[in-house]
Amino acid sequence: MRVLVVEDEAALREGLKADLSAAGYSVDLAADGEEGLYAATEYPIDVAIIDLGLPKLSGFELIRELRARGKTYGVLILTARDRWQDKVEGLSAGADDYVAKPFHFGEVQARLSALLRRTGGWASPKLACGPLELDTRTQAVSVSGAAVELTSFEYRILEHLMLRAGEVISKSDLTERLYQQDFDRDSNVVEVLVGRLRRKLDPDELIKPIETLRGRGYRLSLPRRPA
Amino acid sequence: MMRGAPSVRRTLLIAVALPLLLFFVLTAYAIDYVFGQQSAAALRVRLEEQVVALVTAVDLDFDGKLVVNLLDPESRLDVPGSGQYAALRDDTGKLLWSSPSLAGTDLVLGSKLPVGGVDFHYDVARDGSPVAELSRGLQWAYGAGLSKKLVFTAADSTAPQMRERLLFRQRMAGWFGALDLVLLATMAWMMRRALAPVRRLEQEIAALERGRASQLGEGYPRELAGVTTGLNALLESERNRIVRYRDTLGNLAHSLKTPLAVIRASLGGVESGERRSAATIQLEIDRIAQIVEHQLKRAAAGGGATLGQAPVPVLALLSDLRAALLKVHAGKDLHIEIDAPAELGFLGDSGDILELLGNVVDNACKWCRSRVLVAARFDPDRALPRRLSIVVEDDGPGIPPELRTRVIERGVRADEHVPGHGLGLAMVRETVGLYGGQFFIDASTALGGARVELRLPGR
Repeated sequence: MRVLVVEDEAALREGLKADLSAAGYSVDLAADGEEGLYAATEYPIDVAIIDLGLPKLSGFELIRELRARGKTYGVLILTARDRWQDKVEGLSAGADDYVAKPFHFGEVQARLSALLRRTGGWASPKLACGPLELDTRTQAVSVSGAAVELTSFEYRILEHLMLRAGEVISKSDLTERLYQQDFDRDSNVVEVLVGRLRRKLDPDELIKPIETLRGRGYRLSLPRRPA
Repeated sequence: MMRGAPSVRRTLLIAVALPLLLFFVLTAYAIDYVFGQQSAAALRVRLEEQVVALVTAVDLDFDGKLVVNLLDPESRLDVPGSGQYAALRDDTGKLLWSSPSLAGTDLVLGSKLPVGGVDFHYDVARDGSPVAELSRGLQWAYGAGLSKKLVFTAADSTAPQMRERLLFRQRMAGWFGALDLVLLATMAWMMRRALAPVRRLEQEIAALERGRASQLGEGYPRELAGVTTGLNALLESERNRIVRYRDTLGNLAHSLKTPLAVIRASLGGVESGERRSAATIQLEIDRIAQIVEHQLKRAAAGGGATLGQAPVPVLALLSDLRAALLKVHAGKDLHIEIDAPAELGFLGDSGDILELLGNVVDNACKWCRSRVLVAARFDPDRALPRRLSIVVEDDGPGIPPELRTRVIERGVRADEHVPGHGLGLAMVRETVGLYGGQFFIDASTALGGARVELRLPGR
């Protein structure tokens, strides 16, 4: 998952980046509103964390602007004032949730994954498609009730595909979500990872969870069901 | 209306009307007195003339007896009870003659008087009519060296004078009364005009209080202009001060909490050997954060309506809040129903009411199974000044009676599993208190969960 962090306080920004990377997100950083707007509109972001008190372009303006430009991904606001006035204004501007400073990283992470689920159309933190189940809180994956061990990269690809189950996701999209913005991108890595994922989830090729659409990308084609 | 000093208009009116009334009464009294004196003097002059006439009418007949020859055949002295009387006595007081008009009046005219003596007095006839009576003792000569000592008395009914005087008094009272009324009316009108700016000031201040105006108008007379421009400046600076105060607090919050967040974030990377002290520091950061949170919110709560602030439309605010909360609690099958008339307004700071409602409704959303009901209306228990009653109910587990007072206390939470500092309701109680409002926690009969009611100043 690719998350954008727009925060002017360098220490906090870097701290969030470290925590988010450790939690398996690929992180884009911006230090002010204008930089944030560029990243928010130019990169394939899945979710954004935006501080309300930003230089150049305030958090409210940034959110309004990116919504005006048709960006629909989840936006989590960070607010230092923690007054309802700020929260309501931020949420009315187009944000989806808020976290008050100073926050525990665990809270930010919980809200982020909830936002990701919600924008993918999932209500509960447990995603289920056919016999496939994925718990976003524990990062546990199972097929027909049997646990499957996945590496961090494999989990991230599967989570992304399941969150947007039914949609076609391009290879470059997946690559960008796996790596930082300035990483050396090699699309072969994705092919290799998807191949490994297929073998782990479906060693006997019975359920065929991940479809390959030639020239377009991948799709998790198992039907969604309530967990 | 509070009891205070009496109104300026009334004081002025009384201050003018009382001396005016006293002046008229004294003037009337003086005029009446002078008139009375004059009519008494005129009466006396007339009686003197009648005495003179009587003197000339007395004569001796051939037998040396005194006779009175009334020259005027139509003299009223001949008509009984006519009001004009005369009598003649000698110096021993013996009645020598009396006018026929005296018959039936029971009046006794004249008395013993020495020569040169004069007596003037009032008497009352049998029919009650007042009579003025003048007697003179005279040496009456009727030949060479012959004279008699006689007492001549003339009397006259004063009833005509009395009638005249009464009439005079009535007319005077009429005129003076009318004048007085005209003067008072003029005074009242002038005062009304003179005090019009004061009344305008009163109305404009009332408008300020209701939040329909933010400043006093222009064009006040010189005496009041100082006050109104001063008040305007005060209002302006007060508003600016509040804004500045809020901004400063906001900046303070930001500048305190961001470093706290940084410290907290950097503690994540502490070596495993230091984990214990890192945990302690985390705990302390939590405490500092809570204290900063609480004190800043407390300081930021405006408390009470500032003059010249427009009422905050409650329905619009609730709708915004509803949209925001539906997003925040999107993971939940949540239904928030709002029931509030559009004209409902809160008299106070919009940030404060949003903070209050945000806390209370958010709590309801956290605890409910799926339904939250927000009903706002004018408090039916109190007419004026109007008050809002905002009731928030949910279908959650409710708050047990023994916990109701405790959850309001600072830092106490009914259940540790729902995020929040537990400061929310304490803050609500404090802010409601600042507005002189009320705050109740109860059980919802409609939904079965908690029922929180806020009573706040409104319009």
